[in-house]
Amino acid sequence: MDFYYTTEEEKFRDELRQWLVDNLPEGWIEGKREIPQDNEGQSKFFRDWQRKLFDGGWSGISWPEEYGGRGATLIEEVIYEQEMARVQAPPQINVIGVAMVGPTLLQIGTEEQRERYVNKILNGEEIWCQGYSEPNSGSDLAALQTSAVKKGDKWIINGQKIWTSMAHLADRCFLLARTENTGKKHEGITAFLVDMHQEGVETRPIRSIDDQHIFNEVFLNDAVAYEADIVGEVNKGWKVSLTLLSHERTGVARQIFQLNQVFDELVEMASTLKKNGRPLIEDPIVRQNIGRLRAKSKGLLLNYYRNLTNSIRNGYPGPEGSMDKLGASELGQEIYSYALSLQGSVNTLWKENAAVTAEWQYEYLRSRAYTIEGGTSEIQRNIIAERILGLPKDIKY
Amino acid sequence: MEFALNEEQQVFQRSTQQFLKSKGDLEIPREYSEGKEEVLDDLWIGLAELGYMGITVSESYGGLGMGPLTLVPILEEMGRAVIPGPYIETVAFAAPLIEKYGSAEQKEKYLEQLASGNRKFTVALLEGNGELSPTNINVLATQKDNEYVLDGEKILVSHADFADTLIVPVRTGNNEQDISLLIVDCDSSTLQMEKQISMDESRKMIKVSFNEVAVPKLQLLGDENTGWEILQDGIQGLNTAWCSNMVGGLDRIVEIATEYANTREQFGQPIGRFQAVKHKIVEMKMNLETARSLAYYAAWALENNTEDVVEAIAMARSLITESFIQSASDNIQVHGGMGFTWEFDCHLFLKRAKSLENYLGSPEDYREQVVSELVGNKESLILER
Repeated sequence: MDFYYTTEEEKFRDELRQWLVDNLPEGWIEGKREIPQDNEGQSKFFRDWQRKLFDGGWSGISWPEEYGGRGATLIEEVIYEQEMARVQAPPQINVIGVAMVGPTLLQIGTEEQRERYVNKILNGEEIWCQGYSEPNSGSDLAALQTSAVKKGDKWIINGQKIWTSMAHLADRCFLLARTENTGKKHEGITAFLVDMHQEGVETRPIRSIDDQHIFNEVFLNDAVAYEADIVGEVNKGWKVSLTLLSHERTGVARQIFQLNQVFDELVEMASTLKKNGRPLIEDPIVRQNIGRLRAKSKGLLLNYYRNLTNSIRNGYPGPEGSMDKLGASELGQEIYSYALSLQGSVNTLWKENAAVTAEWQYEYLRSRAYTIEGGTSEIQRNIIAERILGLPKDIKY
Repeated sequence: MEFALNEEQQVFQRSTQQFLKSKGDLEIPREYSEGKEEVLDDLWIGLAELGYMGITVSESYGGLGMGPLTLVPILEEMGRAVIPGPYIETVAFAAPLIEKYGSAEQKEKYLEQLASGNRKFTVALLEGNGELSPTNINVLATQKDNEYVLDGEKILVSHADFADTLIVPVRTGNNEQDISLLIVDCDSSTLQMEKQISMDESRKMIKVSFNEVAVPKLQLLGDENTGWEILQDGIQGLNTAWCSNMVGGLDRIVEIATEYANTREQFGQPIGRFQAVKHKIVEMKMNLETARSLAYYAAWALENNTEDVVEAIAMARSLITESFIQSASDNIQVHGGMGFTWEFDCHLFLKRAKSLENYLGSPEDYREQVVSELVGNKESLILER
């Protein structure tokens, strides 16, 4: 048992750390983190950052070197996430492309698809979104009804997607559609690479409770894809979708490192804010709550390292990732909720009137999505119960 | 970076499990609490044969010279079977303290015997209301020639009747921290022992009275009036060990609850299919794994004497104690009426959990310690690398 990194791993860390110092926007590390609020400005900001990462060799580090990556090990990916969390680096706008679509195409895509797409994913020239959820298939994803029908050399797609992050900025969509109705819902699904800039694709914004526009509805009215846009085999898209998800190796790590960072900020805030003239951190009840959150955050981080060790030993990740996801999302909600509790009666003031910084209010609201997106907590609990504990499967229809 | 038990530790885990199974597993605490105290003698002979009594004793005294991490798998297995007896007090408290603070004579006299299983230790710590604080240590040690004469009473001394030797903090001066540790051999002293009836009968609690008990000055562990400090060192070992022991309990609870939910049928199906039941067991599993990570980390921090060792142990202790009680309670709920019977094993865990809740300090005390360490030590706020 040890928590040490090898000399090479530490070198990797130092290199990245230095690169971030040199390349993050002026004042970013010190806390001046301003992102444009309008669509266009935001899009440019994120695309520029993605490009910078690419130019520095820090985009898609786990990709093979011949495709522009570094062939990074799992541990290096973890270090990458630690360092990104440490400086609260801007999110990667093309995370879906870089973390999932690209590696999937490298693994099971055609030569033509690799040539056409992967480089533009890595350098951020083409932004990707993911067309999975539909109004009537959320947790029950395989029940999706968007259809693709073959006409000549074209596939005509009709239906609706929802919760499509970044669709309004995206150039292409990794989309699941039903190509056959066999009566078994996991069969007859096909994965398509769909051009977002075409007449048959309409994107409408969803305004979320944090007054943000990240999510969209995507309407497909006779949208077109071609034979060459199919990933894997026709009607075998469910398996492709699982391949896609298996490439998302360190998303939960990112969340966990960020949470430990946020916990530190919470302590900082409790040391600054006062009640009856005394810092909150001196209040015994506050201390109890903070002590509890500390043990949970540390426990979550350590659980992750334990699961990581297992993944490395086994050569593949186990279902324990569901435990990390469940733990991180619920603890995130708890930490942000408590952060607002500490702010007293001004705790709902936000935007330019925020008592501390509006990040607390934004993330408090944002955190309600943690336990829904990427598989609800209820679904995670089913996975843990069935796949880890061996409890009976849910009644399925 | 590798956060898991190593090969050797896994071997310890398997052999402990095999050994305890051969001795009756959960029947051990049951038989013991029903008055068959010979099961403990039998168990100890086996533990000694396996070399488990000498794990933390240095090789020159016949031990293995290992640290707290090696104890982790063994203690987890003991926790899984709610094993009675002063194993923790002997290997995680007495042995390391004598190794570290003992005189040459004391090491000579005790360590070999300890490692061979011929001398069992326990700690006679608490008095009065059971609070652990310097002011609550009032067994008086009066100097007389080359002896201390002890007067007073210790409570909740676990397995004092089974132990051969007690480590006893006594008052040797008027200042608050004028406390010294004495090694008191039961056979050469006239101690009075009286059983204290406890819900958790797997840990036999005994009141030990000292009425003018003479103990040679040679039996002083460390310097006079430094006992409280040494004790803190020892308590770290005790807490770390109990954490792993409780993790074992949690592990067994999850196993038992899962098994029951898979077999017990109501409304024509196993109750584990109902999400209200299923998700409750998942909660137990989540708590178990967090507990295990924190217990591993505490043992690692103690073994390597890291900067954050105090915080690491305090985090583990505060969280694990509460999780253990919660899961032991939920396990009874999952079992329904059967969980309320003496016949089913559920209550063994609840009673053990509750008896450890405030032992050596409450979860609140340890959480407070976590925050003191955190706020006092800003360095530790930097993200772990």
